[in-house]
Amino acid sequence: MLEQYKKEYSQSVNQYIVVDLDGNILESDNVIFPDVVGKNLSDIHPFFESVHSALLEPNKRHIFSCIHLTNPENQTIITDIIVKTFDGKQPPLVAILDLTTHYDNYQTTAQVRNESVINSQILELKNEYLQEKEAFKNAFIANFSHELRDPLTGILTFSDILKKTHLNDEQLNYLRVIDSSSTYLKQLIEDILDISKIEAGKLDLVISPFNIKQLLEDIQSVFAIKAQQKGLELITNFNDNLPEIVGGDALRLRQVLSNLLENAIKFTEEGTVTFNASLNQIRAQKASIHFQVKDTGIGIPEDKLEDIFTSFTQLNNSQAYKGAGLGLAIAKHLVSLTHSRISVDSTVGEGSTFSTNINFILDKNQVLKSKKKDVLTPPKSNRKFSILLVEDSEITQLSILKILASRGNYFLDIVTKGEDVIPRIENSEFDLILMDIKLPNSYGDEITKLIRKMPEREHKKIPVIALTARVMKDDLKRYKKAGINDVIQKPFDENTLVSKIEEYLK
Amino acid sequence: MKISKKIVLIGHFGVGKSSLIRRFVENTFTEDYKVTIGVHILKKEVTLPKSNDDITLVIWDLEGNDDITNTRPSYLIGTNGFLYVFDMTRPATYQSLENDLDYIKDRYPNIPLKIIGNKKDLVTNDFIKQNKDVFGRFVDFYTSAKSGTNVDDVFTNLAEAVIKEAKK
Repeated sequence: MLEQYKKEYSQSVNQYIVVDLDGNILESDNVIFPDVVGKNLSDIHPFFESVHSALLEPNKRHIFSCIHLTNPENQTIITDIIVKTFDGKQPPLVAILDLTTHYDNYQTTAQVRNESVINSQILELKNEYLQEKEAFKNAFIANFSHELRDPLTGILTFSDILKKTHLNDEQLNYLRVIDSSSTYLKQLIEDILDISKIEAGKLDLVISPFNIKQLLEDIQSVFAIKAQQKGLELITNFNDNLPEIVGGDALRLRQVLSNLLENAIKFTEEGTVTFNASLNQIRAQKASIHFQVKDTGIGIPEDKLEDIFTSFTQLNNSQAYKGAGLGLAIAKHLVSLTHSRISVDSTVGEGSTFSTNINFILDKNQVLKSKKKDVLTPPKSNRKFSILLVEDSEITQLSILKILASRGNYFLDIVTKGEDVIPRIENSEFDLILMDIKLPNSYGDEITKLIRKMPEREHKKIPVIALTARVMKDDLKRYKKAGINDVIQKPFDENTLVSKIEEYLK
Repeated sequence: MKISKKIVLIGHFGVGKSSLIRRFVENTFTEDYKVTIGVHILKKEVTLPKSNDDITLVIWDLEGNDDITNTRPSYLIGTNGFLYVFDMTRPATYQSLENDLDYIKDRYPNIPLKIIGNKKDLVTNDFIKQNKDVFGRFVDFYTSAKSGTNVDDVFTNLAEAVIKEAKK
């Protein structure tokens, strides 16, 4: 009975072949390759041409797994092949085991696995490529903006100086053009740097207490003039219940609201721009404030509402609307740092409304610390201060020289090369050092490290203020670690330079 | 008398071993990637241009493996020549090139071995120059199974080396 069952149900597809040492087939069953007796193994398939040598080694058992053969019906079968050799006169045995079904399943699994590995390797490469491209772009922007900042500092400084000379009306008009162009250029560079910082994930909010009502009024006064110049009316509604002092990043809030208002005025030819601020709620020492900027401008098509927040995107590319298309992108990113978002409703031809809710820390015990001085006053003593300027740019040297000379209480000494700094300090007494960071063949932070290692105590303690365009988070950390006390970002104006110097000379 | 020699192609999966063989034997190419499991064996008769010898190449297309030490030794019995293939677009396929070559040369010291950087159609000459530290040191042929670049030359060159070795 067993034999009968085996005949009926066994799907044995194994073929056993007895061969001589040359591979000539002596005996065989006919399961896979029929009628092979008298032929040579190599007539069955090229596989066997390469295993003749295995027949010559006595007492060996070679297993060849997963060998693809072609059967007489010209179908591919996947087999394991065993070659067994014996001692003496006993001829070798070749067993062909057809495991096609088993290996077909394995094939499917291997296909999925390999494709997945290859795809992930390709993705990884693409990612690396994109990161390299991104790093190159950021480095390019940082270097390029740095190169722009020195000449821009010169233009801004000398425009200011020129204003104080005797100019006729025509000259004053020309100067206003220079002034507004360079201010616009400065804003563009700052926007590009901000976007580059945001994209590199290097822009963090700086939280400190500030008077939000005062900030809103400041913004209102700036944009009321801008709106008026374009024949528009700026309507403001600031709720009385807004808190006065809040904790947040005043600089970035001003930037967000200014960008929204700038955008509204730019794209509105007639009518009004409305600027609203109201308190949503106060909860857990946090105030949620709703800001809204509404215009009666050209509006945005519905399918373009997402695009307007993309860098370097301007829907209307006509010459009437200048700009790099960065303002809204920056505003969106800055708001996202507060875990909020900007929403927009718009109707083409009727206008747009931009809204956002931003949370601020609310602590009634916080006292507003007013750091900024609008009016510059020289240090109280009549003493003259000696300042060492380490700077290779002649424009910046001249700008600083003119600014400090106009104050009348500074001696300025200038070195242009890093290697001259230490000898100059050893031979003179300085109250403060203004240090450019990128010098020929050296870096200001490295030089500062050497200053901090100087043996004389008074040398070690000289305040060092960096003059640089490189103010990414990593840069600032590096400067601090090197012993640099503070940073003045290029391009700077007279107020910034003098107030920072005075802060360290008190 | 016709000579038959066993050539084995090894390398990571997806580097184009099967495609190179298909291009050489059948002069065809497909973009569809089908994983090779186990071994496919094909043969082709060639006449070597230098010696005018007729030779049958029995070409073993081994399944790709990212660790050469996992290659089944039985597959390599009776090998007369090796082609080590990597994909120039995927560093993972040539990161262990030097070690893999040492492994082969250590175990099969007298067997001719040629190293192939495949998928030349996907890289520029500048890319090859930029990677000369790896490619320049080891690679014998830059091939493209897709365009056929250097494919015949690889096999005939290896066959010449195999015959030369056999005559020693």
